[in-house]
Amino acid sequence: MIPSSLSPTLSPVPGEREILITGLGTIGAYGSGAESLRGVLVSPEPPWAGLSEVSRSSGYHLTQAARKAFLVDASLLKEWISPGEARRMSPPSKLAVAAARMALRCAGWSEGLPDERTGVVVSTAFGPSSYSEGLLKQILLEGPESASPTLFTESVANAAAAQIAIASRARGPSVTICQREAGALLAVGQAAADVASGRVPRAIAGTVDEMTPLLHSLLDRFGTVSRNGGPQGLEVARPLDRRRAGYLAAEGATMLLLESAGEARERGAVPLARVAAWGSAFDPTAPAVGWGTGYAGLARALRRSLERAGISLERIDRIVTGASGSRPGDRVEALMLKAAWGDIVVLPPVLAPKAVTGEYGGGFLGAAVLAANGVSFGPTAGFEEPDPELGIVPHDGSPLAPPSAVLVTSTAAGGAVSWVVLEAP
Amino acid sequence: MNHETVSRRVAVSGVGAVSGLGWGVAPLWEGLRAGRTAIRPIQRFDHTAHRTHLAAEAAGPEDAGLAADPRWERLSLADRFAVAAAAEALAMAGLAPPLASLDDLWAGVWFGSSTGGMFESERFFNEFLHGRWRSARLRDLATQQVNVPGDAVARWFGVTGPVRTVSSACSSGALALGAALDAVRSGEVDVALAGGSDSLCQLTYAGFNALRSVDEGPCRPFRACREGMSFGEGAAVLVLEPLERVQERGGEPLAVLAGAGSACDAHHMTAPDPSGAGAAAAMEAALRDAGLSAAQIDFVNAHGTGTPLNDAAEWRALQRVFGERAGEIPLTATKALLGHLLGSSGAIEAVTTVLCLRHGELHPVPACAGGPAVDPELPVALVLDRPLPLPDARAAISTSLAFGGSNAALVFSRWMGT
Repeated sequence: MIPSSLSPTLSPVPGEREILITGLGTIGAYGSGAESLRGVLVSPEPPWAGLSEVSRSSGYHLTQAARKAFLVDASLLKEWISPGEARRMSPPSKLAVAAARMALRCAGWSEGLPDERTGVVVSTAFGPSSYSEGLLKQILLEGPESASPTLFTESVANAAAAQIAIASRARGPSVTICQREAGALLAVGQAAADVASGRVPRAIAGTVDEMTPLLHSLLDRFGTVSRNGGPQGLEVARPLDRRRAGYLAAEGATMLLLESAGEARERGAVPLARVAAWGSAFDPTAPAVGWGTGYAGLARALRRSLERAGISLERIDRIVTGASGSRPGDRVEALMLKAAWGDIVVLPPVLAPKAVTGEYGGGFLGAAVLAANGVSFGPTAGFEEPDPELGIVPHDGSPLAPPSAVLVTSTAAGGAVSWVVLEAP
Repeated sequence: MNHETVSRRVAVSGVGAVSGLGWGVAPLWEGLRAGRTAIRPIQRFDHTAHRTHLAAEAAGPEDAGLAADPRWERLSLADRFAVAAAAEALAMAGLAPPLASLDDLWAGVWFGSSTGGMFESERFFNEFLHGRWRSARLRDLATQQVNVPGDAVARWFGVTGPVRTVSSACSSGALALGAALDAVRSGEVDVALAGGSDSLCQLTYAGFNALRSVDEGPCRPFRACREGMSFGEGAAVLVLEPLERVQERGGEPLAVLAGAGSACDAHHMTAPDPSGAGAAAAMEAALRDAGLSAAQIDFVNAHGTGTPLNDAAEWRALQRVFGERAGEIPLTATKALLGHLLGSSGAIEAVTTVLCLRHGELHPVPACAGGPAVDPELPVALVLDRPLPLPDARAAISTSLAFGGSNAALVFSRWMGT
């Protein structure tokens, strides 16, 4: 998305146009905070003990449906959201506000932001699913006049962004992006563009989703989640593996604080990573609910984007892929990367954190920031057999030198693809 | 956007629309000029159990050429609105699809939507939630996501550049246009299809009724008797290109998208900041972005929902931006005729603003019987009953104020030949 080399003011040059990530807040099945996420990323053990049984009490699931997902322990929210606030928030709003507060604390703004010039860019794939479901039940089962104003108010996709703005007194642009699995990186790109252009000195950016029984059962009916293909019938994701058969669904939120380097350095903030470039493209061969085959065009777009940002493929020494275990999704993402690199340059080490964070909820975004910050990941959970068509063997857990430039990619159902380049601070 | 980043002037080279006044820009403009409301009793679903019964549903026949395409059948209503509006806008711009991004053409889609294919999904959920799982068709759910209308446009026209959907409630369309403006200015793309699409559905209809913010009659923005909003549906798409690109192929810009701005109230989930500060901040940001002062704005296309709180907050915002001119600057409120198109309202009001600049006149809204023409406490210069000639109008601002306090504004300037 960023033509940095075309637009000097968007270039990551020293000074206020340089964009730093100074805060990371995350909450998921792994717990709350970056250290919790780091724990599952570096662990040599697969994270399957962290999977929770999805409630079947509503009878939405098929008999053979997937049973588990990475769900958040709601008690973790108490540290971040007061009961008085919580009663006015949907589950995604609570997750998002908690993650935003963590990000601000991480960035050294625990006493509040210095002024109101803060943007908020949040992505969500499905929005407040539980509130939408509740509202639909009221309307369709009990009649439209029984619709709850509270449910409706918090059923809009931008509720989380609005609640973050209210909680943080952030009066810059407030934008919610819905682009399925590509949304998180698009949100980071939008926030970076806002900061780079000088529109705001800082922005909170990230992603949030909840995983309700209804949503989980529907994802299963669309054939996207992993069923019982693992050892002892375990549900496992196998990103980039020949036998991959779907992802593990997840919920949670990850929020970042992006700042102009000028502000960050002036106040002595410790950067976690630098946002060097961002971009996106579309595969028009993709159906509305799946992935397409247009990897060659996506690879061209990726190369073009990096070239415009002045970043050579040789400079990329780590890839954090959005490969999740989805059969068609991993295929298009892997083939896009292979085609972008071609035969000339060897693909750098590939990390696939969705193996342990699951799909949705932002664990992937947090993992990408930690990777750029030099966290050394454990072996890719669930990966056993390379897929000869994809030809990518993800990280096996052996020690890696800290990266200097990390390409983060994510391909979405429906055709959108996004990427960012994060550099070590 | 910071002025230093402006690198290219951005032309509107084509517009397309689907609304309660018909499929296409021609019936839209004809109806707007006549001040004819499209708000009528609902046909789409059984509304007898709802508190109110009116909406401006998309009217008239679909484009036969598009409908003959086998892909059409699989599209939701919101997708169809979006594709039809995009097809019209591209044709007007003289751009022939496919728009696959090649070395000499890099195209992207920026779209706003609040509900996507929720209308079709309600069929699915009606079966599913009643336990009739066998008759619940997953196909009805396939278009539910709000990114689907924008994706459908990209897929239909072979776009391979950036595609992004904004879902920030009622400012989605305007925010999408602002992002597209950035992308064209900076050279990220050569062509942007920017707009929005939403179809009427029970979820939002019942939801807004639950808030008691829907007028039982057609909405009456800025009138003392106003009692709430009316729903509409439809889509609007603007083709944005660098000015020089349009000129090089001998085209004539319809207008220039001169600036965009946004700001958040950070006040309340549904109620606007009564001071109007957030809305004013968005307008001021758009004016700065356009390099214009408030004194250079010749008319306002107001968000004007017709709800007591929103119109009052918007008036305060106009006062902050325009000062003593707030009550003098000509103002129209398109929602009085088309209803509220939610995620695409900012887009269709952008099209309306372009048409008004292009034609040199501001469309009217119907006057109310009895009582003052406008609320004496919000004394805007609302254009009533007949078009207001503004042949010398050079610039206009269109506002969008949303749930969650997300405010956006767009500044258009008339194409004067240079």
